[in-house]
Amino acid sequence: MAPIELTRFSQIYSLLHSRWPQFILRALILAGFMFTILSGLWGSQVGSHNFATIFVWIAWWSALKLFFIPIGGRTWCSICPLPLLGEWLQNRGILRSRDAQCLHGKSWPRAWRNAWIPVVSFLLVGWFGVIILTSPRTTAFVLLGLFVLATLLGLIYERRAFCRYICPVGGFSGLYTRLAPPAIRVSNTTLCTIHIEKTCYNVCPWGQYPLALKTSGNCGLCMECLRACPYQNISLSLRPWGIELSSPPKMRVDEVFLALVMLTTAGVDAAIFLGPWGALKSATYTVGSPGWWIFATAFLLLVLGIVPAFYALTTWIAQRIRKGGLSPKSSFTYYGPILLPLGLMAWIAFTLAFASTKLSYLLPVLSDPLGWGWNLLGLTNHISTGQTPLLSSALQTLILAGGAMIATKTARELSRSLYESIPCSYSLLHLPG
Amino acid sequence: MAAYRMKQEHLARFIMVLLIILVLASPAMGKMLWRLQNSATLEIHARLPESGGWSLNTITVRSGQPLTLRFTSEDVVHGFAIGKLNLPEIEILPGEFIETTLTFSNPGKYTFYCTRWCGPNHWRMRGVINVIGMSPTPTPEPPPLYLALGIDLDAPHRAESIPRRAADPQHGSGLQNHLPSYALEQDTYLSNSPASLWMRLRAESSLRPLSDDDLWDLVAWIWEQHASAQEIAIGQKLYAQNCAACHGESGKGDGVMIRDLPPPTAEDHVTSHEERTRPPDWSDPHQLLGASPALLAGKIIRGGMGTGMPYWGPIFTSEQIDALVTYLYRFAWNGAPNASTHP
Amino acid sequence: MKYIPVMVQRLASSRRSVYLIFISAAAIILGIPVPPPAISATERYIRVEASMYRFSPEQIFVSPGERVTIELVATDVKHGLYLDDYGLSLEAEPGQPARETFVATRPGVYRLRCSVPCGNLHPFMLGKLQIGPNLALLRGSLLGAMAIIIALFPRSAPQMSRQKHFPNGTD
Repeated sequence: MAPIELTRFSQIYSLLHSRWPQFILRALILAGFMFTILSGLWGSQVGSHNFATIFVWIAWWSALKLFFIPIGGRTWCSICPLPLLGEWLQNRGILRSRDAQCLHGKSWPRAWRNAWIPVVSFLLVGWFGVIILTSPRTTAFVLLGLFVLATLLGLIYERRAFCRYICPVGGFSGLYTRLAPPAIRVSNTTLCTIHIEKTCYNVCPWGQYPLALKTSGNCGLCMECLRACPYQNISLSLRPWGIELSSPPKMRVDEVFLALVMLTTAGVDAAIFLGPWGALKSATYTVGSPGWWIFATAFLLLVLGIVPAFYALTTWIAQRIRKGGLSPKSSFTYYGPILLPLGLMAWIAFTLAFASTKLSYLLPVLSDPLGWGWNLLGLTNHISTGQTPLLSSALQTLILAGGAMIATKTARELSRSLYESIPCSYSLLHLPG
Repeated sequence: MAAYRMKQEHLARFIMVLLIILVLASPAMGKMLWRLQNSATLEIHARLPESGGWSLNTITVRSGQPLTLRFTSEDVVHGFAIGKLNLPEIEILPGEFIETTLTFSNPGKYTFYCTRWCGPNHWRMRGVINVIGMSPTPTPEPPPLYLALGIDLDAPHRAESIPRRAADPQHGSGLQNHLPSYALEQDTYLSNSPASLWMRLRAESSLRPLSDDDLWDLVAWIWEQHASAQEIAIGQKLYAQNCAACHGESGKGDGVMIRDLPPPTAEDHVTSHEERTRPPDWSDPHQLLGASPALLAGKIIRGGMGTGMPYWGPIFTSEQIDALVTYLYRFAWNGAPNASTHP
Repeated sequence: MKYIPVMVQRLASSRRSVYLIFISAAAIILGIPVPPPAISATERYIRVEASMYRFSPEQIFVSPGERVTIELVATDVKHGLYLDDYGLSLEAEPGQPARETFVATRPGVYRLRCSVPCGNLHPFMLGKLQIGPNLALLRGSLLGAMAIIIALFPRSAPQMSRQKHFPNGTD
């Protein structure tokens, strides 16, 4: 299947080229974001009756995992409100791109140009997730904190340092986006070689050079390059789903760790939120209690110890069977792409089960966003108990099975290409083909 | 070109600022509008006693003037009712709002309280409505009988003698002609425990021919005479709603709220102030057969006794307390009357 | 016996037949009727204690056909119990337990949910009631295993021939 080039259609091209459609979306979402913070701080502290908790953790968080990431990749990043103020201050304007007059911040320290900070922030999400998820005030403080941090980093460092190296959601999106269809690419590579100004690189908030883009992981789909290119040589296309897995780019240790942490977190969250184990729920909720400390230690041990060790051992044995001759560290990173479909499908399955019973919370909160007893839409503000629709359970099973299948296929491909990655050995293999 | 771009930039900034102001101002505006329209409404938030209980503990209102209260809960299900007034209780659900309008015709001090169990300190969720104004002074309620009789509520009252078998009021009914006239009087019932009345009857020379068991059947019959089916039903309901969480559904003192406390000492729980214990086990007839209705009513009214027993004086009417007392004796006569309801 | 792998490989060599096998196997796994388990018409009494935010016991196992009476006892604040699919609904306050009886006619795994808002974790106050064996989990695991096996099948014929030549290149 060939990629579909969306930008070939002139309407789509001009829609993406103009700053206004994106700005209007961003403005509405930023306003909504401000309202969410206000609602969390000022509104009712009953989690199920506050816009902040319900819209962030049920509507947005589910939409991100079910829609934005699997289908749209980093489309959320292109309209995310967190870095907007920082970026606008950086660019000294809302409708402007990075240029000579913009604020030139420091470059992000080399030692931190990796996924370790998102790994840590994801660990924090695991530790305090239950509190964050259920308390409007904590939700508001987390959002406000991230917003302030993103703005400050935008003023100190160049480009989107926050998005690339800090944001936990960015780390999450960045990994799984590799499977998603949207991709920014260069149409005609020879044009780029004669264009020495490289305006597309200069304007890119993410510090990417479109010509060199092999993975969509770090592209925020903000369309700045498309707007900057004097030759209309940047295209947005839709690739077949998961195509990056067939020739997976190398992953670093930190990225594999992030993938492992996220896969484990999906399992742990499913156990906490969907499982029947009350003691686990209480332990995660009462932060600081002995139960919570046991949970926190066990979680850390599982996420950073048991699961990575199991994965490292399995991948090492796998390549040993194929006589791949990789070191434990190389096999650890080499098989990393397996974790992408596995993790994404696990999150989708978890979210389906999580969201399907909680959708009944959305309408009452729209009618009474602050939990003050308003009734803007004339609905009852009573929330029904809900139950798991049969379809969602069946769908979850299929999705998990699909994830396992894609992961196995990826593992197979990776094992096969072990031969190709090692020169001389088994070169006979290529003779019959 | 530059001027055009500047114009666009200004427009974008204007839209952004406008949107944020709109979004931040709308809740404030909404709140103000609501206040203007409902300036007389008092908003009361119910919270667990550990997190503050009622957000408003004292309300003052003129008699005859409508009082509009708007309730919501911040955590679990609570309830609202006013003591001694026979008004339907209001269930307060977390995050939901419910309004009620009350009009007090008589000045006085009314106690409002939480009607839904919300933890071991549930009964502490109480507040006062002071109704001020001029109106004919109501006839003061008579003081509770235990005060008039000078009963010491904190003294041990263990029955010295108890029936050797379950007393049979049916059989007692057949023997009622033997009874002296005072035995059937209301005052005798109120001021005597079953055990003390039995002792008194035992001492009667006219009743000498009757066996101990016959006399117990008679006392049981007398107690039955003071308990109408309606009273028992009222008492049972009050007990389930207000008492069973501690005293247990079957009166064994094993309710869910206090079951982790140590069992009561042999001395009765009255003397041990050091440590809270479970309430006594009423399926042991020694406990209730030694208590007179006046004593039990006094304990309900005053509470305390160095235990976690709440005081119900401002909440229950004297009819409700009488009903509750009649219901309580069933634990003693029948052993555990509710125990058999298990399927 | 020696030919069976070859036959399987032949069959698998065409893409369409792989899909065919996949779909039919999935249909068998998901749809195959399991003989109904032995019905025991016994009475069961289960006392479920509800506290913030757990049911105790957390997991309940009953046999198909049993007449189950559930008694809900709240130990701190008002709680509810809603049994998915069976629609059983109870509400209890401390001191006032509630009981209801149902016949476990449909085997499966069902969730118990608290139906009375009881605090911030209320939406996640869950329990589990399992009637008979957990067939859904079994079918799901089989489907997963099948998905993995399918993924392990070689994709096209030329690769097959390679593997014949190099038997150590097992997948």
